[in-house]
Amino acid sequence: VSAVLGVSCDYHDAAAALVIDGRIVAAVQEERFSRIRFDSSLPTHAMQWCLRFGGITAADLDRVVFYENPYAHQTRVMSWSLKTWPRGLRMFPRAMRSQLSSKLWVLDRIASSLGIDRTRVTHVAHHRSHAASAFYCSPFSKAGVLTLDGVGDSETTSLSIGHGDSLKQAWSQDFPHSIGLLYAAITAWLGFRVNDGEYKVMGLAAFGEPKFRSELGKVLRIEGDASFSIDVSYLGHLVDPDLGFGPKLEKLLGRRRSPSKPWDLADAEDKRYADIASSLQSLTEEVVVGLARRARAMAGVSELCMAGGVALNCVANALVAAEGPLYVHPAAGDAGGALGAAIIGAMELGDPRPEYLSSVALGPVPDTSRAADVARHLGFSTAYVDPVQEASDRIGRGEVIGWVQGRTEWGPRSLGHRSILADPSLPDTRDRVNRTVKQRELFRPFAPVVSAQSFGSYFEGEPDLLTPFMCTVRNVKPSVALAAVTHVDGTARVQSVDSGPLVPLLERLPVLLNTSLNAAGDPIATSEIDALSFLHARPIDALIIDDLLVTRP
Amino acid sequence: VSFRTIRDLLRHLWREQKWFFIPFILILLVIGVVLAATSGAAYVAPFVYSIF
Repeated sequence: VSAVLGVSCDYHDAAAALVIDGRIVAAVQEERFSRIRFDSSLPTHAMQWCLRFGGITAADLDRVVFYENPYAHQTRVMSWSLKTWPRGLRMFPRAMRSQLSSKLWVLDRIASSLGIDRTRVTHVAHHRSHAASAFYCSPFSKAGVLTLDGVGDSETTSLSIGHGDSLKQAWSQDFPHSIGLLYAAITAWLGFRVNDGEYKVMGLAAFGEPKFRSELGKVLRIEGDASFSIDVSYLGHLVDPDLGFGPKLEKLLGRRRSPSKPWDLADAEDKRYADIASSLQSLTEEVVVGLARRARAMAGVSELCMAGGVALNCVANALVAAEGPLYVHPAAGDAGGALGAAIIGAMELGDPRPEYLSSVALGPVPDTSRAADVARHLGFSTAYVDPVQEASDRIGRGEVIGWVQGRTEWGPRSLGHRSILADPSLPDTRDRVNRTVKQRELFRPFAPVVSAQSFGSYFEGEPDLLTPFMCTVRNVKPSVALAAVTHVDGTARVQSVDSGPLVPLLERLPVLLNTSLNAAGDPIATSEIDALSFLHARPIDALIIDDLLVTRP
Repeated sequence: VSFRTIRDLLRHLWREQKWFFIPFILILLVIGVVLAATSGAAYVAPFVYSIF
């Protein structure tokens, strides 16, 4: 029996996860406390909250496990600084300063922050953390495991075989050959913010056609065994940390799109950008599907687990799931690595593999009485209500409501604990929520949430291991009218529900629009104060925090 | 500066047969210590650029 804290930080979404006696007790991203989206700093708030929630102190921890090998990372930075000499001149001082002033010492920083001996802080390889988060949280006893992201340590892609408590890597692809970094480069070229805009590229792809596959095929070469190579001369991430793509890419695809220009997909120029997004998505799907087949073949079973940032590409996931059972860790990005690292540490100390992670409600709960006090202080009206009755009445009247129930979700998706809910059948709901509530691009679709029993009435196929976590897309049945949540290609990033706070609401309204309770650029609301701030700043009609109704007077 | 981290980094370089980085990293660490000791944050960019 043991208490193990997993930690990720310094690169993308910092997080902490606590495993006690082989049970996943708590997991949360640092951004939920710091209110800085994708906060990558040392997750001091997340670590301390996990310990408090678990009812232990840092002194009780048997081990703290960092999700990456800082020495392998340092070695990769130095190796590539030499390999790209002298073009890497601009990158080198920044990289070295970042490494030597902070990142190299991450294990010391964690120990110091927690006030524990440095000997109790260890590390595991980045892609092993991802693979562990996928396989050990899945319901499978044996599976192939595929991890894909930008880069972690020196690897960008890995295939492993999971069997019982065993998880062995069988193949990996090294930096700079990375489908994640290529996707990030094109994301930047399209004028979106890297690490945030990849979702937008995926949504934009549905508006285009893959007419530029041959051009992008010069950048990404896919081999017969599904491995791939990148012609890095088109990309800038080896020599320019700010841009991510080089002048050669602009010669190949044309001038980059201005980030500040509003999208107009009726315009020929923007349609061309959508065609390029579609071409990138098409090539990405070819790589992911090919590697998935290879992972399944290696493991000798049809079950597959996936993690890493690329595994958040739910359109590619749908194609992989069509060929066999698939589980994707709900926090597939770097945050999930913290949980994978904690599980590895716990199992090394003799704890059993955790049970299937059927719920991602692993974060903090709201304080309803504090919410009522603050709401009244801000001049809002408050009342204690039956939340299901109140929500169904209001959504039935066409209102858009904030919905805060129980523990915050682990990972990037709002799955019914910190959500904005609305009627998906109203055609203007999508524009209203996009334009005034979320203030984001109008082409971006919203996701529906449906009860597992009613799934087949609205969407093709049956619920699977991906639908509870909004990790896939399904075709919307042509006979149903779900205008606000149906993408231009007739699909929806649907969530199925058979447990949790949305169940009673979905018994009254079987399908809802469900989007995260945050504005563009903000982290998802976590505390009651975050939710009240959102109500204060955005034109939603009401906010329900557990059984507390908050409205404008 | 943690000697345990320096030791683990050097071990990693040796294990990965990248021992040729060891003098390189030691020089960088000395530079880092000098900068820290002289509160040289403001000098980081020109100082490093002047070497590399």
